[in-house]
Amino acid sequence: MIGNPILLLLVVGPMAAAVIGYLIGRVNKSARDYFADAVTILAFLTMVYFFLTYKEGQPVSLYVPEICGMGLSFKLDGFRIIFASVTAFMWMMTTIFSKEYLAHARNRNRYYFFLLVTFGATMGVFLSDDLFTTFVFFEIMSLASYVCVIHDEKKETMYAGAVYLAVAVIGGMVTLMGLLMLYHAAGTLQLDALLPVCEEIFPENARWLYIAGGCILFGFGAKAGMYPLHIWLPMAHPVAPAPASALLSGIITKTGIFGVIVISSRIFLHNGYWGMVILLFGVITMMLGGILAIFSLDLKRTLACSSMSQLGFIFVGIGMQGLLGEENALAVRGTMLHMFNHSNLKLVLFMAAGVVVMNLHKLNLNDIRGFGRKKPLLLYTFLMGSLGIGGIPLFNGYVSKTLIHESIVEYIELLKEGHGAATFAFASGVDAAVLFKVIEWLFIVTGAMTVAYMTKLFVVLFVEENSDPEIQKQYEAKTHYCNKVTAAVLAVTATILPILGVFPTRTLDKLADMGQGFMFGVSPHHAVHYFSLVNLKGGLYSIVIGALIYVVIIRGWMMVKMKTGTVIYMNRWPERLDLLELIYYPVIMIILPNVAAFICRCMDFMMDGLILLARKTTHRQLHGGKNPPKGYRLSFWLGGFCNKIALWLNKTIYKKHPLKRDYILRFAEKERVIKDANKIIVASVSFSLLMFGIGMIITVIYLFMAV
Amino acid sequence: MPSYFILVPILLPVIAGVLLLVFPIEDARKRNICIEIIVVINTLLVLWLLTHRPSESFYMFSLGARLPLTLNVDGLAMFFAGLVACLWPLASLYAFEYMKHEERVNTFMAFYTITYGVTLGVAFAGNIITMYLFYECLTMVTLPLVIHTMTREARKATRQYLYYMIGGTAFAFIAIVFYSLFCNDIAFVLGGNLNLAAISNHMDIALLVYVFGFFGFGVKAAIFPFHGWLPAASVAPTPVTALLHAVAVVKSGAFAIMRLTYYCFGAETLHGTWAQIVVLIAALITITYGSTLGVRETHFKRRLAYSTISNLSYILLAVATMSPLGLIAGLSHMVVHAIMKISAFFCAGAVMHQTEKNYIYELDGLGFEMPVTFVALFISGLSLMGMPLFAGFVSKWNIVHALLEHESMLGYISVLVLLYSGLMTGIYMLTIIVRAWFPHVGYHKDLVEDFKDPNWLMKGPLIIFSVLTVVIGFYAQPMLDFIQKIATGIY
Repeated sequence: MIGNPILLLLVVGPMAAAVIGYLIGRVNKSARDYFADAVTILAFLTMVYFFLTYKEGQPVSLYVPEICGMGLSFKLDGFRIIFASVTAFMWMMTTIFSKEYLAHARNRNRYYFFLLVTFGATMGVFLSDDLFTTFVFFEIMSLASYVCVIHDEKKETMYAGAVYLAVAVIGGMVTLMGLLMLYHAAGTLQLDALLPVCEEIFPENARWLYIAGGCILFGFGAKAGMYPLHIWLPMAHPVAPAPASALLSGIITKTGIFGVIVISSRIFLHNGYWGMVILLFGVITMMLGGILAIFSLDLKRTLACSSMSQLGFIFVGIGMQGLLGEENALAVRGTMLHMFNHSNLKLVLFMAAGVVVMNLHKLNLNDIRGFGRKKPLLLYTFLMGSLGIGGIPLFNGYVSKTLIHESIVEYIELLKEGHGAATFAFASGVDAAVLFKVIEWLFIVTGAMTVAYMTKLFVVLFVEENSDPEIQKQYEAKTHYCNKVTAAVLAVTATILPILGVFPTRTLDKLADMGQGFMFGVSPHHAVHYFSLVNLKGGLYSIVIGALIYVVIIRGWMMVKMKTGTVIYMNRWPERLDLLELIYYPVIMIILPNVAAFICRCMDFMMDGLILLARKTTHRQLHGGKNPPKGYRLSFWLGGFCNKIALWLNKTIYKKHPLKRDYILRFAEKERVIKDANKIIVASVSFSLLMFGIGMIITVIYLFMAV
Repeated sequence: MPSYFILVPILLPVIAGVLLLVFPIEDARKRNICIEIIVVINTLLVLWLLTHRPSESFYMFSLGARLPLTLNVDGLAMFFAGLVACLWPLASLYAFEYMKHEERVNTFMAFYTITYGVTLGVAFAGNIITMYLFYECLTMVTLPLVIHTMTREARKATRQYLYYMIGGTAFAFIAIVFYSLFCNDIAFVLGGNLNLAAISNHMDIALLVYVFGFFGFGVKAAIFPFHGWLPAASVAPTPVTALLHAVAVVKSGAFAIMRLTYYCFGAETLHGTWAQIVVLIAALITITYGSTLGVRETHFKRRLAYSTISNLSYILLAVATMSPLGLIAGLSHMVVHAIMKISAFFCAGAVMHQTEKNYIYELDGLGFEMPVTFVALFISGLSLMGMPLFAGFVSKWNIVHALLEHESMLGYISVLVLLYSGLMTGIYMLTIIVRAWFPHVGYHKDLVEDFKDPNWLMKGPLIIFSVLTVVIGFYAQPMLDFIQKIATGIY
């Protein structure tokens, strides 16, 4: 082991603690909960220590040789410190929150065990310094988090869990193959060594590097909810326990983003083609997520689709940093900050949703309507989260969205000047400018959709009254809806958001300075004025369009007045439009194995078919007998039918030369031959002897030839 | 050490087994103790032999002027003998418990012990004639084991087993005759010992003979199209299927192919020829075949048998790259697969023994009642899939590395096939686990309440194999170093 062993402790420590926690849990449940809290708090404090003592250009690293074949290497530079700290912070908050949320659930010991294992693995991903280590912990994380997702073991939970696991396993396999190809091409997976090697071998090995990169992108992109592998995201989040959803959405998806960033900045640094691919996937993911969120009628599903949409924003940022090449400062900082902000935002929102679920055990918007009325703390928490994610000025989401938006604008300027076309040769300068103008507007519209669906959720929870006045009364009577610890957790996490948003230059910019080196970003030439008129304009467009979407689509189309006079939300999304049911399930579970199995069975038949053929032709045996044998129902049925036809034909057409065959006999004979042949094939006596004979003959011939 | 000592570990179990046949011991307890003592002593002898290797080979007798029978302990022999010797005592422990309620245990155990000696004979064979001899013997002594239950199904399977094996050796025989005529010296030499000058004008014939030999020995390794016997033979008692059909028999097939390829014809000679392409494609087809039908199969042990088919071809695929790296990958997968597949078969056996359930759809909810068994199965399943941190990953990594080194289109196609196979492995292994722990609708706890984990004789080997799987997954360097030395000819 070379380096600082505390890094290993950060990764392995939680896993070891998981085992200890499990043993404690068998004796005392409450002690286990506190133990888990203590472990996560300790991990967070360690990260705070690293955060405070970090000096530019002096990363802490650790190499553990020979473990898992290639050895594991870890490193803590600015970027990793930020995201490891976010991980530790989120785990601390959700673990504390879990105690009340799961107070009445079964299998809590299992939950805490896998929660801590996932924690260690996620830390491992963010601390990893080579892609192999990343992959190892990424896989552990995928498998361990599966158990957290399916915690309540209901039928739909198991289904969603199966989809989650399937995507994770398939993604993992494909990534592994990609890594192997990359390792073969580059000879190393060390992040720092990868960049110079890849630059050197790029010209002649471009094809294999693109294939390898595509494979790796598949796996990490699947985890990051990238279209078309996003299917698990809207399914797994609603069914998982709220703390697990918060982690899943807040940080586990970010590990996928981490992987995508690594390949985008280590293999394809400043590569326009690669950037364009990521950008296009990002735009689709962003739009689709937003649309799904608007149509969703489920509180947590809406938030899950929102995650997908926000991850799309991050992909757009990553794409832009590839396209912009050397001048990608804004894109790099925007990507990083949006990752950071989104983690915090989703932590707040999912925990607020968790409070609702904990009390009502319902998620449908029509059921939970009006729950939040007269609950100031919940309102405060949810409002902060909503404003933040909606990109409202003075909140943190605005800052990062502005940066990504600015990077698109910057690229359009470059295209107009004729610079950008060098890195992006799909279209000539002017056409590309139009394309990016469209992308810019899609970006703004998606921002507007965010505003619209968050307004929807906020109005449902805090403004409207439930359609049943009795239930509304019960809701309002519920003043004690969470204990003091949970309340403190909610308040603290929610308060961070506006602080980040109001003082972006002192908080977020500092973080960006710290982490941008990971993506080879540099500080922009001049500081960004977040609250200048130009930048505010983008935000304002989003708000105005968002309000329009809310009024027209959600209030106008999705809300329907029933005969009783109450207004409810209707599901307007066509049921059949489901990528999973429509394509993936049939292809993977039915077509692929069945077609392959059919071919395999045919191959199986090939050897024995030779014998069958021989028996049919050269070795045909004579069969006699007049009485139809018993037990051949199909022959009787078919033969009888044919006999009747023959009879009818004899009466009509063949009056002079009537047919005299008995079809039952003929068919039964045929059937018996087939059955016999099958038996022989199964036993395969003659086949083996045949082979033996052939072998001997060839030997003898050969010996004659040789001697 | 005198060289005749090599004969001792081969003969000891054979003699013990024959004695057991002649003088049966009816008391199960006494018999088990006797057998276990002999097996352990033999294992210790083998290990001692491996650490104190005789410097020269042992000449037994000759079948004719050019056909001497010799025994030798070279690197590959050390490897295979060590593997077999380490697994056998554990497997016998398991067999005692499993066979407790069966009939004709005495005969069974006698042949089971003889097989140990014969397998070591295959390992220690010093030239291809000797290996062929022991290889044939292996077929004969395992025959009574497969037929053991004497049911109609078992007899049919045995007949199929016998005919496939005899058919296969007919092909292998061609290769042996050819090689004995056209070699410089018949003993195994790493890098091959073919008299290239004599056959330089008839290279195609030599390659054709190699292909015959490959498929001939490949019958035991269940290569397409000679794979039919393996799933059928899973009717045999579990200790047999586990040890013989996942380790001894099928691995001797792979071992024989390694000998043929690297020690007789020579990898250099074969590299880049059409013969290589043929065998590579055969291995690829087998992998696809085994993993696809594994998904379709609902019988627990047969599913594992299909998995064996595909995994054996992983080894053959690596071997067929005809490079030192390929040999390393093949050997490492041989060890790893032996450990994880024996563990998986033992789990299946434990389930069958405790609950008499044979089909996957009957396993609902058993995970809670038999936690040790299913955790072991889970570990072996993840390992089979090639998850990092488990042993299977180490060898899979090496295999793909060897394939990519091969630098041809076929190499990349192979990677694709391995990807497909890994995916299918995931489906057929994980569906078992998921069923066991997350039962389907209509499951009642009281249906499975009476079942529990087997006793320590069965549990012990399972735990040891699982721990080994994880340890190799974490720290495989010593094993890889050792294999490296074999493949480069240092041993």
